[in-house]
Amino acid sequence: MESTSRPGLETPGFADLYREHSKAVYYLALRYLGDAQRAEDVTHDVFLKVYRKLDEFRGESAFRTWLYRITINHCHNQQQSWHQRHITTTDDDAVLDATGNAGESPLRILEIKELGERIQTSMDRLAPEYRLLLLLVADEQLSYEEVAELTGQTADAVRGKLHRARKAFATQFEKTA
Amino acid sequence: MKHRTKQTSHEQEQLSQAQSQSTAPREFTSVTEALREDRARVEVPPAVEQRLNESIAKLPKPPPQRPWWKRLMGD
Repeated sequence: MESTSRPGLETPGFADLYREHSKAVYYLALRYLGDAQRAEDVTHDVFLKVYRKLDEFRGESAFRTWLYRITINHCHNQQQSWHQRHITTTDDDAVLDATGNAGESPLRILEIKELGERIQTSMDRLAPEYRLLLLLVADEQLSYEEVAELTGQTADAVRGKLHRARKAFATQFEKTA
Repeated sequence: MKHRTKQTSHEQEQLSQAQSQSTAPREFTSVTEALREDRARVEVPPAVEQRLNESIAKLPKPPPQRPWWKRLMGD
């Protein structure tokens, strides 16, 4: 029987949670970390934690927000352990300021299949804070207030940084053409 | 047979239309729109679900709960 080989995702409610939210977790991890294998690891670890700690979810925030909090922590841990192994000299400030004038122009792609690759390249060139803001705001289910809560700042600060993040992203996106 | 041929050519037309749409140039009016399109195209690899099930199966099981009458009698 399937139930003996699939105990976790046959637990009442958990399969629904996985089906509804796993893509959000995986996508955030994928584009934030820029590595499919590490995104898989994060998704696995996050949902294992959710499975174990679901009864600790007190419903004070939306489930999605709680899930993202766990995901962001896992991504930060992944990033820290990766940086400890790979010393890089990326100047985040330089990337943060490289906003150029591309903010208002539309993003054009010749083929839809190149979209993912160009988005990843552009993301990789942004500061982690900008990357995270762009990815969280891209989730229709999150409000600016929830993004602010998740990133530990005010909604106004989110709006301001988001404006710069979008410009920086658009500049980098143009360069990938 | 003739009808089937007509349907087939219609299907082919739809297919080539879909193919041309999937490879046509595309313009996004905002970064968020582009990211949402990208997210819609990303799928979680099935291997994650499999690994998750294996990990959950290895978790220690919680101790069985005593029947209510035993809990009531304090035994």
